[in-house]
Amino acid sequence: MLIEVARVGDVAEGGMVKAVAGGKEIVLCRTADGYYAVSRRCGHMNAPLERGTLDGPYLTCPIHRAQFDIRTGEALNYPIYQHRHVQMPKGARVASDRLKSLMFDIEMHDLETYPVRVVGKAIKVEVGK
Amino acid sequence: MKAESRKEALRYFYAKVVDPLGYKFSPDTELVEFLLDQEVALEQQLESPFCPCQGRTQDHAENMTIVCPCIPFHREHFDFMRRCWCGLFVHKDVTDPDSLAQVPYSEFARRSRDAH
Repeated sequence: MLIEVARVGDVAEGGMVKAVAGGKEIVLCRTADGYYAVSRRCGHMNAPLERGTLDGPYLTCPIHRAQFDIRTGEALNYPIYQHRHVQMPKGARVASDRLKSLMFDIEMHDLETYPVRVVGKAIKVEVGK
Repeated sequence: MKAESRKEALRYFYAKVVDPLGYKFSPDTELVEFLLDQEVALEQQLESPFCPCQGRTQDHAENMTIVCPCIPFHREHFDFMRRCWCGLFVHKDVTDPDSLAQVPYSEFARRSRDAH
């Protein structure tokens, strides 16, 4: 099922916008090679990926800097818990360590990818039946 | 996670960093593949792609200076050798990376002192 999610010109090259298509949250990405659509939530902790950065075909999550290849949806690295290295007051460190222990078991998942077609001025995403 | 996909991404990101610094990937493709394999393994274990040829310490700030590509942190030393420490990157004009020697920092510092 092809669903229009944006118009040509809505997304600058290197940019991303969120959209809903067929009840699915997606991120429409534009690279020099064209448009790509992936599921909107990070495969780690569900961060909204359109708030991350897009460099070529690589999308970086804004929270823990997990990276994904938007062409395939593949997760490329594990999230980075930078706070582990940062000097912080003891109370904050205890809370941080507790949070880290909770996050330790979270699995990384690849993103879903969706075919994108440009039909006239409309950018359409195929989200399945 | 597939190592090959990560290596492709690292190649992409690294090239953007080292090119303005006057460096390129070594023409020794076998060495490049090997070093990137090691970096992917280190990244999966330690969160950052540390240089596979330099030892880490307990000092986080110091360790951050050997996250690849670490050229900006060792610029004078590497420019002297015309390669980075592990040889993943060489000066853009280098065609024969085997001709470039690893010069220990102490030796580089001594020669620099003598030159001045």
